[in-house]
Amino acid sequence: MSGAVLSPGVVVIDDDYAMRLSCGKILTKMGLRAETFEDGARGLEGVAKLNPDMVVVDLKMPGISGMEVLSRVHEIDPQIVIVVITGYATIDTAVQAMKCGAYDFLPKPFSPDELRLIVNRGLERRRLALESQRHELERAMLTRRFVTFVAHQLRTPLVAVHQYLNVMKHLDQSPAKEHEWINRCLTRIEELQNLIADWLTLARVEGGAMLKERIRVDLGQIILDILKAYQETAAAEGVSLEVQVQESGLCVLGDRNCLSVLFDNLITNAIKYNRPGGRVTVTGTVSAGEVVIAVADTGVGIAEKYRPFLFDEFFRVKDESAKKTAGTGLGLHISKRIVSEMGGTIHVESQVGAGSVFWVRLPAAHDPETGIGSQNDAGAETDSNGR
Amino acid sequence: MREQKRILMVDDDRDFSEAVTSFLEANGLKVFRANDGKEGVKLAKMERPDLILMDIMMGERTEGFFTIQEIRRDPALKDVPIFVLSSFCTRLPDFEIPSSGGWLAHDMFFAKPVDMAQLMENILQHIGKPG
Repeated sequence: MSGAVLSPGVVVIDDDYAMRLSCGKILTKMGLRAETFEDGARGLEGVAKLNPDMVVVDLKMPGISGMEVLSRVHEIDPQIVIVVITGYATIDTAVQAMKCGAYDFLPKPFSPDELRLIVNRGLERRRLALESQRHELERAMLTRRFVTFVAHQLRTPLVAVHQYLNVMKHLDQSPAKEHEWINRCLTRIEELQNLIADWLTLARVEGGAMLKERIRVDLGQIILDILKAYQETAAAEGVSLEVQVQESGLCVLGDRNCLSVLFDNLITNAIKYNRPGGRVTVTGTVSAGEVVIAVADTGVGIAEKYRPFLFDEFFRVKDESAKKTAGTGLGLHISKRIVSEMGGTIHVESQVGAGSVFWVRLPAAHDPETGIGSQNDAGAETDSNGR
Repeated sequence: MREQKRILMVDDDRDFSEAVTSFLEANGLKVFRANDGKEGVKLAKMERPDLILMDIMMGERTEGFFTIQEIRRDPALKDVPIFVLSSFCTRLPDFEIPSSGGWLAHDMFFAKPVDMAQLMENILQHIGKPG
């Protein structure tokens, strides 16, 4: 009787026959599943069996007292809403009942309307309590799943390295094979280091680093520095790097490290998922109080079915070509978090076989000399998704 | 001379597979490798291995469980010993194998990284000496 599709259930416990009859009628008419019991012992049995949403109980009954019924109902399910009926109404007994966990009280005699009102309120309360309990559970499960998953991600490269070393210890192999395995081990250790670095950045962003540290950062300079650092890597892949950004004026307020990580992620992706002879183009402009940066590549592109998940934690495109490229699955997720924390947006335009453009929009920092932002230009590269 | 004993290894980590496979092959076993559950089922049906080594977390889910179920559905493979090799947890009772999941009494669990000597010993106990 979990009652997911059933109407809410109410148990009425009262030694007065007329009371049980009329309450039962009113509640049934309200579309509720109502059950009535004539004393505490039977009532509690009924509660245990029916698992109702609400219990209406008379405080003064022969046998088990209403007050005791109250606490025993909550032993069965602390979320059941209890309303007590107080016959010889004194405020004291009502207050005592509320202290014992009753939701509300109904002084005898009461009208059908009063009963309906209090039952509806109580059921609403029950619904909210269950909902928040469910959210709490869902959150706890998500957290647990995330921790399990991250532990697995961290352990995987470590296990591979361990296994190689373990086998090398037992097996005499050719120097060539051994050399190859050592290189594989180094790659996996690097993978582990990247994962830890990414994870720490994520923790930093989630810890609110972007809000705490808001200094004026020149994105033009950051981008030029990153491109310079990747010049060789790109050349080795046969990818050329082009930049059309203003030397100054692309200023935002934020954490310099996080902003470096953001553009580092986008630019390394553009190089990694490119093709020999391809090109990475970074453009930056200021427009309507926003700094707009576009990182465009001429790579394989991203199929439409993957795009909704692109910024999710640990999401990686499952194509064969993507499988060969190392990655933690955190880069774009982190990028999105950084941009969002700064009140900006990131989105992707992509064409399979032609390439992708990642657009980042961030609120421009107020320029102390010239007023807001700066002029809208920077080579005014026309819509770079027109490829 | 008897036919060489055949092992199927299903694991999405190519490095882990490579290391384990090299050891088993150096010890006289023939090893087929599959990088995911789907390929694992295909190779199992095609090659009829004497024993299967199965990873659990492949891709982003516990694909190994489904793969075991799928493999067991084939009458020719319903009794083949399956060793689970996983870093998902360190001991068997930590994860639940659905009762309908095709888990048999002779199946075993090994935590990654795997002690090769121990794995080899158990494989030989299950399938007999390599031919």
